[in-house]
Amino acid sequence: MASKYKGYTGKMLDINLTTGKIGTYEISDRDRERFIGGRFLTTKILWDELAAGIDPLSPDNIMIVMTSPLTGTGAPSSSRFDISAKSPLTGAIGHSNSGGNFGMHLKRAGWDGIIIRGKSDHPVYIDIVDDKVQILDATKFWGLNTEEAQHAIGEKNAAKLVIGPAGENLVKYSIIACQDRAHGRSGMGAVMGSKNLKALVTRGTKKIELYDPEGFKKTIRKWIKMLKGHPATGDMAPKYGTSGFLISLSKHHALPTKNFSSGTYKDAIMLTGQTLAETRLVKNAGCMSCPIRCARVVNINGREVKGPEYEILCLLGSNLLINDMDAIIQWNYELDLLGIDSISVGTVMGFAAELQEKGLWNSEVVFGKKDNISQILRSIAYREGVGNDMAEGVRYMSEKYGGKEFAPQVKGMELAAYEPRGAVGHGLGYATANRGACHLDGGYMIYFEATGPATLDPYHYRSKPGFTILDQNLLAAISAGGNCLFTSWTFLPGILFKIPNSRIASWITTRVLTYSWITIDLLLGLPPSLLAIHLPMLPHPKALTQATGMKMHFGKFLQMGARGYTMEKLYNLREGFTAKDDTLPKRFTDEEQIPGNKKSKVPLGKMLPKYYSIRGWDQNGVPTAKTLKKLDLEDIRI
Amino acid sequence: MAHTITEACIGCGACKKVCPNLAITGELKSLHYIDAAKCIDCSVCGMTCTKEAVLDQNGKVVPRIKIADRMKPIVNKQECSACFLCADFCRVNAIKISEPTYRGDLNTYAEINFTKCVGCGLCASNCPMGAITMGKVEKPAVAAKENAVA
Repeated sequence: MASKYKGYTGKMLDINLTTGKIGTYEISDRDRERFIGGRFLTTKILWDELAAGIDPLSPDNIMIVMTSPLTGTGAPSSSRFDISAKSPLTGAIGHSNSGGNFGMHLKRAGWDGIIIRGKSDHPVYIDIVDDKVQILDATKFWGLNTEEAQHAIGEKNAAKLVIGPAGENLVKYSIIACQDRAHGRSGMGAVMGSKNLKALVTRGTKKIELYDPEGFKKTIRKWIKMLKGHPATGDMAPKYGTSGFLISLSKHHALPTKNFSSGTYKDAIMLTGQTLAETRLVKNAGCMSCPIRCARVVNINGREVKGPEYEILCLLGSNLLINDMDAIIQWNYELDLLGIDSISVGTVMGFAAELQEKGLWNSEVVFGKKDNISQILRSIAYREGVGNDMAEGVRYMSEKYGGKEFAPQVKGMELAAYEPRGAVGHGLGYATANRGACHLDGGYMIYFEATGPATLDPYHYRSKPGFTILDQNLLAAISAGGNCLFTSWTFLPGILFKIPNSRIASWITTRVLTYSWITIDLLLGLPPSLLAIHLPMLPHPKALTQATGMKMHFGKFLQMGARGYTMEKLYNLREGFTAKDDTLPKRFTDEEQIPGNKKSKVPLGKMLPKYYSIRGWDQNGVPTAKTLKKLDLEDIRI
Repeated sequence: MAHTITEACIGCGACKKVCPNLAITGELKSLHYIDAAKCIDCSVCGMTCTKEAVLDQNGKVVPRIKIADRMKPIVNKQECSACFLCADFCRVNAIKISEPTYRGDLNTYAEINFTKCVGCGLCASNCPMGAITMGKVEKPAVAAKENAVA
C-alpha cells in the first residue's frame, strides 16, 4: 500500500533470515502522521511486532533500518537514518542514528526501511538493488574488520552497512558502520551479529518524489545559507569539530575526569579541538549532504583516516588521565575497525580503572597507563581475558565486582562524556532518557549550561525540567524527521555568540535565560494549534510540509516530539522499567563534585517530580490517560 | 519519454558501462534495452554509441560526441556547500571535494575531473544549492589543471 504522502516511498521490506522469506511490511498513513519516521516509527513497529520480555540477542528480536521523509532529499544534514531493535545493552528501547549514505541509497532503491527477523544458520549479507533483493552467503567475509568488509562486500559504488569483529562476538556495545560513520549506541551491532548478518548492501536508481519540489528547493537553499552563516554551524563546528567544546567543559566542571570523579582536567588543553586543528588536522569532512562538516580527517602512518570526536578525546583522555592525543587518535581508528562504540568503551575503561585502583578487580586498566590500552580494546572485541567481562558493559561489571555507587551507567547504558554534576539539567536528561544515559536522547542540555554561547545557571535546578523536556522533544523530532541534531544549534540566534566577554553582560544573560523557565513551562502546556507558526531558525517543520504534504508547523512538530518520546517511554514500561530506573549513580546525586560546594551534585529528587508533571506522567513515570488522549496515543495500552 | 535503442545496436556494451543510472541491460553481442523508468534522458549512451543506435526522447538520433567535447558541469565555488551529494551520484567517480589550501581552510567545494566526467548532468540536477550548471569547458585538460591549482 503506497502512501498518500510524498517524501516516502511507501514500501518497506520485511526479511526473515530463518526462512529466507522476503516480503513487504505495511505502515498506515495514520502512523506516518503520528510518528513521521526514523526512531518514532520504529518504536511503533517494535511495539507492534515484539512481545514483552524477549531476549534481545535471540532470533525473536527484530532489527529495523528506517529512513525519514527528509532522508536523501538534499535537505541539509539529511543523510541521517535510524537502526532500532530491543537493545542488548539495556533491555530497553534501542535506537541509533547516523549519517552514512545507506539511508539515502535505500530510499533511492525504493524502500523506506527494512525489517530483519529471525536468524540465519550461516553468515549472510543482504543485497538490495532497486526491487531485486537477495540474501547471499558471507562466510568468507566473516571476521573482516569494518573497513575491509566495506571494501570486499558488494559493488564498489553501493552503500554498505557492516559489522566488525565486535558485532560478530556480540559485544554489548558494538556498532554498525557505514562509510566512516557509526551507529554507535545501544549495541545494534550485536543484534546484527546475533542474526549472523554481516552486511547490508544497497544501490538505488529511483527518484524521491516531493510534494512541493520548487518550494522545498527554496527552503533548503535558505536553510543551508543560514547554517553556513551561523557562528556555531558555519564556523565553530567546521573549524574545531565536536571537540572544540572540551576546554569550556573543563572550565564549567563538566569534563569527566578520572572515571567521572572530577569535572576538570589539568591537561585539558592538550586534548581540545583547537589543538587538534592546529597540529594534526589534515582537513574537515562531513556526512553526505551536510554543509556543517564537523568530522575530522587526520593522518596515521601516511594514511588519511577519520579523526577523533569529542567523546573519545575525553573518555579515553581525561577520564583515564591520559593526555596523549596521538595515542587517542590511533585508538579511535582501531575502535572503528573493530566495530566498538567509542563512548561506551571509554566509560567502561574508566570504570575498570577505578575498580583496579580500589582493589575490587584486577582489570589491567590503570589510570594514566597507555601502553596496554590497544591490547585491551582488542581483547574486548574478541572477548578474550578481561575483555570478556568488559564486553558486557558497566552494569554487568558493577554487579559482578561491586562499585555500583560509582558505576557510570543509567538503565545499563554507559554515561556519555559529560559530567552531570557540572550541569544538573544534563544529569536530569541522563536519568530520564529512554535509551539510557545518552547525551543526545537526554536533551543535550549541556549546550545551554556549559558549551553554548549564553549559559543557563548550571546549578539552578528549578529551571531545568522545562528546558530538558523542550530539548528532548525537539531533538527527538528533528531526528525522526531525518536531520542531524546539529541543525538545532541555529535555534540560539547567532547574535548571542557576540555577547561581550564582560562579567555584567554574562551575568545578565544568564539571569534572563535561567528565569525564562516560566515561559518554557507555559509553552510546553500550550495546545499545538496556538503555535501554528514557522520559526525562521527552525526550518524543519516547513521542509517536512513541503516534502510530504502533511500540515506541519512548530506546535505540531513539538507535539510529535512529545508523542514519540512518550511512545518510547511506554515501550520501556512494558519491558518492566519503572521510575526507579530514572536515576543516576550515587556518586552524582550524593557526593559533592567540588568538596564544600553543596550545589555541585545533581538534585534529582527535586527535579524529577516536576519533570513528570510537565510531561503529563504520574509520579511513577507512567503517562496518564489524559496525556495519552492529548497525544493521540489512545490505542496504545500497556 | 525515455531514450530507446534501435536495431543498429551491435551489443558492444559501451552504453551499459557509461549509463549513470544503470538503466541499460543486455547481453554482449545482442540488442540492448533501456529501462524507461530509470532513464534520466542524459543522452550519454547515445553520445558514446559508435553506431548511433540511440534515439532520444523525441525520437531523434543522438549524434556521437567525444567525451572532451561534451557539456560538462561547472561549479560555482561560492555557492557550493561541499555536501558531497553530487559525488555520491556520480557513477564514474569524477567528483571529489577540494583539498584545503592552508590549515584551517573552510572554503572547500566540489571539484570535477573533466577527463573522467561523461557529462550526464546528474550532479547538476541533484545539487541542492543549484551550484552546478552544465556548460562548455573550452580546454578540459587545462581547465582541470587550473581547478586543481585554485
